[in-house]
Amino acid sequence: MLRKKLPPLQSFLHLVSRRSNHLARQQYDVIVVGGGHAGTEAAAAAARVGAETLLVSQKIHTIGALSCNPSLGGVGKGQLVKEVDALDGLCGRAGDWAGIHFSVLNRRKGPAVWGPRAQLDRQRYREFIQSELLSTPRLTVLEGSVEELLVTEANPEEPGHHRVTGIRLANGSHLISASSVVLTTGTFLSGSLFMGQTTSPGGRIGDAPSSAGLSQTLRERLGLRIGRLRTGTPPRIVRDSVDLSLADLHPPDAHPTPFSFLNTHTRCKPEEQLPCYLTYTTPGVERVVRESLHLNCHIQQDTKGPRYCPSIESRVLRFPGRKHQVWLEPEGVTSDLLYPQGLSMTMPPDTQLHLIREIPAMRRAEIHTPGYGVQYDFVCPTQLSPALQVKSTQGLFLAGQINGTTGYEEAAAQGLWAGVNAARRALCMPAVALSRTESYIGVLVDDLVSRGVTEPYRMFTSRAEFRTSLRPDNADLRLTLKGFAEVGCVSPLRYQEAVRVRDSLQDALAALQALALSAPSWRKKLPDIGMSEAKSTLLTAMDVLQYNDVSFEMLASAFPECFSPHMEFSQRLKIEAVYRPHCDLQRKEIERIQKEESMSLPQDIDYFSLPVSLSQEVREILDRVRPSTLGAATRLQGITPAAIVHLLNYVRHTGQKERRTHRNRADQKEEGDEKLCARHASLPQ
Amino acid sequence: MLPSIYHGIRRAAVHTRRTSTPPCRLLSTCDGPPVGLAHAETIFALSSGHGRCGVAVVRASGPASATALRCMAGLTRSLPPPRTALLRSISDPKSKEVLDRGLVLWFPAPHSFTGEDCVEFHIHGGPAVITAVLQALGSVPGMRPAEAGEFTRRAFQAGKLGLTEVEGLGDLIHAETEAQRRQALRQMSGELGSLYQDWSHKLKRCLAHVEAFIDFSEDELIEDGVLNQVDRSVCDLQAEMERHLKDERRGERLRSGVQVVIAGATNAGKSSLLNTLCQRPAAIVSPIAGTTRDVVETALDIGGFPVLLSDTAGLRDSPDLVEREGVRRARERVDQADLTLVVVDCARLPSDAMQATSFLQGHLRSVLLNQEQPDTVFPADRFLLVLNKTDLLPQEQRQKLVGELRQASGLPPLCLISCHTTEGLQNFLTVLHSSVKTLCGDPLSGAPTLTQARHRAHLQQCFAALAQYQRYRNIDLALAAEGVRLALTSLGRITGRVGAEEILDIIFKDFCIGK
Repeated sequence: MLRKKLPPLQSFLHLVSRRSNHLARQQYDVIVVGGGHAGTEAAAAAARVGAETLLVSQKIHTIGALSCNPSLGGVGKGQLVKEVDALDGLCGRAGDWAGIHFSVLNRRKGPAVWGPRAQLDRQRYREFIQSELLSTPRLTVLEGSVEELLVTEANPEEPGHHRVTGIRLANGSHLISASSVVLTTGTFLSGSLFMGQTTSPGGRIGDAPSSAGLSQTLRERLGLRIGRLRTGTPPRIVRDSVDLSLADLHPPDAHPTPFSFLNTHTRCKPEEQLPCYLTYTTPGVERVVRESLHLNCHIQQDTKGPRYCPSIESRVLRFPGRKHQVWLEPEGVTSDLLYPQGLSMTMPPDTQLHLIREIPAMRRAEIHTPGYGVQYDFVCPTQLSPALQVKSTQGLFLAGQINGTTGYEEAAAQGLWAGVNAARRALCMPAVALSRTESYIGVLVDDLVSRGVTEPYRMFTSRAEFRTSLRPDNADLRLTLKGFAEVGCVSPLRYQEAVRVRDSLQDALAALQALALSAPSWRKKLPDIGMSEAKSTLLTAMDVLQYNDVSFEMLASAFPECFSPHMEFSQRLKIEAVYRPHCDLQRKEIERIQKEESMSLPQDIDYFSLPVSLSQEVREILDRVRPSTLGAATRLQGITPAAIVHLLNYVRHTGQKERRTHRNRADQKEEGDEKLCARHASLPQ
Repeated sequence: MLPSIYHGIRRAAVHTRRTSTPPCRLLSTCDGPPVGLAHAETIFALSSGHGRCGVAVVRASGPASATALRCMAGLTRSLPPPRTALLRSISDPKSKEVLDRGLVLWFPAPHSFTGEDCVEFHIHGGPAVITAVLQALGSVPGMRPAEAGEFTRRAFQAGKLGLTEVEGLGDLIHAETEAQRRQALRQMSGELGSLYQDWSHKLKRCLAHVEAFIDFSEDELIEDGVLNQVDRSVCDLQAEMERHLKDERRGERLRSGVQVVIAGATNAGKSSLLNTLCQRPAAIVSPIAGTTRDVVETALDIGGFPVLLSDTAGLRDSPDLVEREGVRRARERVDQADLTLVVVDCARLPSDAMQATSFLQGHLRSVLLNQEQPDTVFPADRFLLVLNKTDLLPQEQRQKLVGELRQASGLPPLCLISCHTTEGLQNFLTVLHSSVKTLCGDPLSGAPTLTQARHRAHLQQCFAALAQYQRYRNIDLALAAEGVRLALTSLGRITGRVGAEEILDIIFKDFCIGK
C-alpha cells in the first residue's frame, strides 16, 4: 500500500468538491456524519461491505485531522490499531504512512502486551486518510452541516420504536435519505470550549459548533439518555523556543515496526525518524495551578473527565508534591511545533505561559496555540446493541466519543464496527457479532453496551480477560479471515495474504512438531542452552522453542533443511510456541462464553411479564440493561445463576417457536413481497 | 459474594500444574514449556446426603474423570467395563495412602448423567472418609470442586434432562446457591474468613500493580520497584498459603451438623425451648425480657442427625449496647441458619384467626428483617413456627386456633407446644425430625468439612497459579500477570469475584496515571 503515490493535496480537494457539487443522488445506503477517526473508518468500512455511502463533514479539509495528540497506538491501543487493520481499516496503514517515530512499547514485558506506537506527522496522516477515502469505490464525501435526523415510525418487523430515514442539511431544506445513519460527532454534540473564564460553543478550536438540532433530536424525539463528559488538550509550543538540551532524549526504535499486516516497512526511513523528549514538572507548576484556580472554569465543574489522561490541574491537585512527566513530541517533519503530552490545561492563556515557563527546558518557551477544555454530550452506550445501533431506533448507529470513549484508536475501532453493521443492515444482510473472546474490539463494544461508562472509556490490556490469546501479532489470524468470509469488510487481496500467512504458519508449526529428539541429542545440537530436562521422552522442536533462550533462528541454523524455509515468520513462531499451551487452556472457557453469546435475547422482550420465576430485582436489571445475549446477561451485576437458567430455558423455547414462524414466513415468500422477507432474514435469530 | 456457577465468566479456565511439579524450573537457566496440561475442567462433588448414612456417593464429570479413576482406584491398565460396579481400594494419588474400600463405576460419554465422562465412587459415609476422597480428587490435575448446580447444568446443556426436570432446574440451582451462600457466610464470619479476605486484598493489590506496570509504565512514572514489591508479596502469600494448607489443625472448631436457630421476640420462651430440647438447663431462663444476650449453642442428636442448636437474644430495639449486639448476632445467625424455629408466645396472638395469621406473617417478617429481599415468600423448609405457652390458653381456644391457622395460607408449618407442661412436644419433635432429615438429604447444607474441602482445592489452585507468576516473572510479564489473575480467580471462588474495574480503581488510587 505504501507503494501507492498520493495525489497532490490541491488536486485532491478539487476532486472532492467537484464530487460534492455534483451530488448525484439524494439517496444512499449509509450516511456517516463526521470525518474524524470514527467517521472515516465507518464510511470506508460501509463502502467496503458494499453500501453506497455518503460521508458528511463540516469541513472537507479537516477530514482525518488529529485533534489532540500527534500519535497513534500504545499499550492496549496498539492492539486496537492492529485489529482495525486486520479488518482492512485505514488507521494502521495511515500510521505507517504518517509515522515519524516508531516504537514498540512494553518490548520487555511479553508479546501479548506489546504496544506498537508511532508519533505522526499531522499533515501526512490527513493526506493519507483523504486520499484513501477518495479512492474508495461507492464512497462520496460531502461538505455540509447536518441540521437534523429524519425519523419516522418503526418498521413493525423489527424491534425498536423509531426508524431513521436520513438527514436534513443545514443550508435550506436539503434532504438526503438512507437506510442507515452513523453519527460520529466526537466532541461536537452540544460541545462547549473552556479557556480560563471564557466559554464558547464548539467541539474543536477553529471549527464551527455543530447544530443544536441533532442533539435535540437525540434527546427529545428519540428520548435517549444523554450524559456529559469533558476532556482537554495542551497548548502547542514553538519548537525553537524550547531548550531541548535540558530534556531527556528518547530515540525511536532503530527499526520501525509497521502497524499494518500489509506493510513490511514504514514510509519514514529508520534514520529519518524524529526523537521525543522527556522532562518533568516542578513545584512552580503546582503553585501556578493553585494560584489560578479561581480563573479556571473548566476545572471547577464536576463533569467527569478521564482519570487516565488528566489535565495538569487535576494531576497536581490529586497527587500534590510530586513531579509529573511531560513528553515533548514532534508534530510533523515540517512542523515547528511541539506537543507537550501531560500538560493539558484550561487556565487563561497568559497563565498557561507562566505555567510552562516553570519547567526549565521551557523557561523561554512561546505558546503557538493555547490549551483548552471541551465539554460535550454523549449517549449512554447501554442504549446500543452490540452492532452499535441505537436499540430504540432502527438504522441509527453511533461510534466514537459520542459513546463516551476517549482516544483515536477506540473511535476508529467503533467506527469500523458501526460502519460494517450500518452497511449490512442497509443491504439486508444478517447481523454479525464480534466477541470479547476474539478481539479487543469485542471487549470495547461489550464493555460499552453492557456496562456503560462513568468516565471517558479508554482501552487497557487489563480489560481483556483473554489477553494472552488476543495478541497484536495474531490479529490477522483472528480477524482477517472472519472479516472476509463472514463480515465482508476485507478485500480479496488482504484475505489472500492472510491465508498465505496462516498456511505458512501451519506448515512451520507442523515442521516444529515433526522434529523430535531426546534431551541429549538436543544438548548436542544446541550446546549453548542450559537444558535441564533429565527426561527419557523425546522433545519436539516446538517444545524446545518454548525455552526462554531458544530462538527460531537457532533452530533454523541447527536444522536448515527443516526450518530455513520458514524464516519469514521466525518471530511469530517463537511467540506462538510460548503462548500456545496457555491459549489451549483458555480455549474451553472461550468456547463456553461464545456458546452463551450465540444465544440472543430478543430486544423487545417484556421482562416484567415474562412467565418465568425471576425476582423483581432481576427483572429490573434486565429491563434496564436489555442484554442482547445470554452471555452479556451473565456478566451483569446482580443476575443470579438461577435467573440465567430460567432465561436460557425461555430462549430455547422461544427459539424453537421463532424458527417455526420463520419457516412459515419463508413459505409465504413464494407469494411475493421479497423485500419483507429479506428484512426478516436480517433479524437476529 | 455468591459462589456461583457463572462467576467464572470473566476468568480463564486455566488450571496450572499442581504443586507436585518440581519447582526446580525456577532455578534453571532455561525455562521449559508447561507440560501435561489438562484441556477442560473436570468437576467433582459429594452427591449423596450427609449425616448418618452408610454409603456416600462422590461423583466426577469431565475429561479428567478417567485419570482420576485410574490413579485413585489403582487401575493402571484398563478402565472397568462401563456402568459396572467394581470393588476397589481407593487411595490418594500422591501419597498412595488407602483412604477407603468401596465401589467405583465408570460411565463413558455420552451415556452418563452429564453426557461427559463420569465416575462415581461409592464410599463409606463417615465425614473423614468423604473429606479425604474429595481432597484426593482435588489433587488430580484438571479437577476442581463443582459449583452450585454445575452437574445439573452440564446435564441440561448436553440435553440429558427432560422437560419437567428443566423447569425445576432454576429453582434447584437457586436452592443450591442459597445453601452454599449460607455455608460461606458461616465460614467467612470467622477468623478463616478474615484470613481469606486479607489474602484476597493483597492479591488484588499485586494484580493492580502488575497491571499498572504493564499498561502504564512506558508513559508514566511507575518505577520497577513496584514489581519488586509484588515479588515480595507473592512470596509471602505463597509461604502463608503453604503453611495454611499444611496446617492439619484446621484453625477453627468445626460447627458440624444442621444449623438450627431459635429466634423470636423477647420472653417468647426461646431459652426454655432450648433447655427442653437438650434436656438440661443450658441457657438461663427468667421472666425478665432480654435475659439471653449472646448466642447459646448446643450440639444435639435428633433422630440420628447431627444438629447444632443455637438460642439467640430476643429481637427488640434496645438502648442497651450489650443487648443490641446480642440482637445483631441473633439476626446474623438467622441469616446463616439452615432452619429457623420462630418462637411466638401464644398469649400474645389475637383471638380472631384472620388477625392471628397476619400477626404471625408480620412477626415472621420482622424476624427476617435483615434478609436481602424482605418481600420474598418464606421457603417452607427453612422455617418452623413454634407457638409456645399453650398452657396459658383455654383448651377450646387452643383447638380452634390450630384448626384455623393450619388452614391459613402464607405460613410455614406450625407446632403448638408448652415448654412448661411439655404438651405438644412429641409432635414438635416429629416435625423437627422430618425437617432435619430433609435438610440432611441436601449434600450442601451443614457440613463445614465439605466447604473446607472446596476451599482447600481453590487455595491449592491459587497457590499453583502464584508459581506461574514466579516462573514467568523475568521472562514474560503478560504470562506472569496471568498467574496472578488465575490466583485471584481461584481465591475469588471463596471470597467473591473481582472484576477488571475493581483492579483499575486500585491502579488509579495508587498511581498518578496520565495518558
